[in-house]
Amino acid sequence: MIEFDHVSLSLGSFSLKDVSFSIKKGDYYFILGPSGAGKTVILEAIAGLHKTDSGEILINGDSATMQPPEKRRISLVYQDYSLFPHMSVADNVAFGLRRQKVNKDEADSKVNKILDEFGISYLRKRAPLTLSGGEQQRVALARALVVDPEILLLDEPLSAMDPNIKERFIEELERIHREREITIVHVTHSRKEALALATRVAIVIDGKLEHEGLKDEVFRKPLNRKIGEFLGIENVYDAKSRGFCSGKTLLDIEGGIIEVSGEYVEGSDLCVFIRGTDVLLSDSAPPNNPEYQVFEGTIADIFQRGYFFRKVGVDCGFMVSAILSDTYSESLALTPGKKVFVRINYASVHVSDNR
Amino acid sequence: MSLSLKIPDKCIISFSLIGGMIVLLTILSLSKMAYAQVTDIPYFISVATNSKVVDSILLTMGAGLNAVILLLIFGIPLAYVLARVEFRGKGIVESLVDLPVMLPHTVAGIMVYILFMRRGIIGEPFSEIGIIFENAYAGIVVAMLFVSSPYFINAVREGFEKVPMHMENVARTLGATRFQAFRLVVLPLSVRHIFNGCILAWGRAIGEFAAIIMIAYYPMVISTLIYFRFTTSGLKESVAIAFIMILVCFVIFAVLRRIMRNVGRYDDRV
Repeated sequence: MIEFDHVSLSLGSFSLKDVSFSIKKGDYYFILGPSGAGKTVILEAIAGLHKTDSGEILINGDSATMQPPEKRRISLVYQDYSLFPHMSVADNVAFGLRRQKVNKDEADSKVNKILDEFGISYLRKRAPLTLSGGEQQRVALARALVVDPEILLLDEPLSAMDPNIKERFIEELERIHREREITIVHVTHSRKEALALATRVAIVIDGKLEHEGLKDEVFRKPLNRKIGEFLGIENVYDAKSRGFCSGKTLLDIEGGIIEVSGEYVEGSDLCVFIRGTDVLLSDSAPPNNPEYQVFEGTIADIFQRGYFFRKVGVDCGFMVSAILSDTYSESLALTPGKKVFVRINYASVHVSDNR
Repeated sequence: MSLSLKIPDKCIISFSLIGGMIVLLTILSLSKMAYAQVTDIPYFISVATNSKVVDSILLTMGAGLNAVILLLIFGIPLAYVLARVEFRGKGIVESLVDLPVMLPHTVAGIMVYILFMRRGIIGEPFSEIGIIFENAYAGIVVAMLFVSSPYFINAVREGFEKVPMHMENVARTLGATRFQAFRLVVLPLSVRHIFNGCILAWGRAIGEFAAIIMIAYYPMVISTLIYFRFTTSGLKESVAIAFIMILVCFVIFAVLRRIMRNVGRYDDRV
């Protein structure tokens, strides 16, 4: 278990401000944040490579502040893999075992076993800098895991890979986590990786911990506008309550009024989040249904999003963006200027009382 | 590649012509010296085999090597600290390291002399245990050490800085102590820089004259001998000795460069 107890730390232009969270044994914990937010420093602090300015990092309940990195049984894999260029692949992997004074035969057999596990036995005599990115990543992971660490720290492990290899590595990391029952801390700016792998997620923006919790909670219920925008939620509105009646509250947002379920005190400042995929479009008025509210609007713009999706901006007085599949969008013959009906399920609207 | 591509543009041609002047000076001087030797080979051989000359060359080379060995012991730790640690007053330490580069050599000689003379702060306790620096081999070595240290330290430091901190960090998380990470990762990856530092420092050491004569006129290093012969016996003899020195240096450095051509080369980044 790793506990950050009011940790502050500054290093060059980066600083961590009064951060507290705890990572339980066996978690696949994601630290998400924009690029350049110094997430690597958090990992290095867990590994014991930086001293905290104040607060403590506890590992299994013991203050780790005084323990040097070589005694922590925590392995670290950097984004650039940091393989030792003057050693062969096998020597790289054996490096940690040699430091632990494992005898040569046992070390050899452990190295062989893990090279097999990662399917890279054929690389054992190669020099690291002659390998492809994916091969280097496998060697780096093998080197980190062969010493049987309690905790594995991954610094943007997938960001330098092309998309196909990335998919395969996500499966590989999932397998490592499942088979080894190891605690993994993974820092990245990629929401996709977190969605695929995380059990818990922390969002760190500008050195501050903005939100921390189970993956679904953090992704589905952002606490404030900053988090919502970082998570890429298409529709984020500042809102003011007009008062509630019969289980619904009317909210003023810029350019319109929106209704949400739940009761919010009149005059309170709120923030409303609606995912683009939860915004449904149709070209005729949908049948009455108490689960939905319906707006009429005009299509303002259409952008291609990813491989198979389009983002459609609709002006209903306020702007709302919908994410549709290519084929659905074509079947409705959506073009800018066309009139459409926008349907939003009450259940898919998230309201936060922070802005 | 077609031939036309191999003809450099006007800028490169004019730069080469201007820059070539410097090389031309060296070539002219070397040719003049070589011509003098080739036209009187028996004389050249007699000078080259003169025991005073041979002894002096060996002394110079040996003392230079000795200074380099001391630099390896004391300079490498300093270079590592300067490469990896930020501390208050680092700028001052860096300036002190660089100082011998900027000083007139006689000034460097005086700095060495006041420390290592018989009544000097360091010279006095050493003379009590029988190590004398004045007019002695040890004096030559410390003078060489002092003037060549910046070249060594800066070259090695640059090498250490080029080894990514991440590699050291990974080594440590894998169970290496800081010293093991240094010995097993940083040092092997800096071999080329350390070697270059040695060559620069050695070259600088064997060329020293002014700083050495302040503390040790005798035994005569090659620079002292050449200057002495130049003032007492004239140009011909000093040119012959100088030419021998040039040949020896040329051969040694060429051989060393050849040996090191492929050592420690893993990647252009490191």
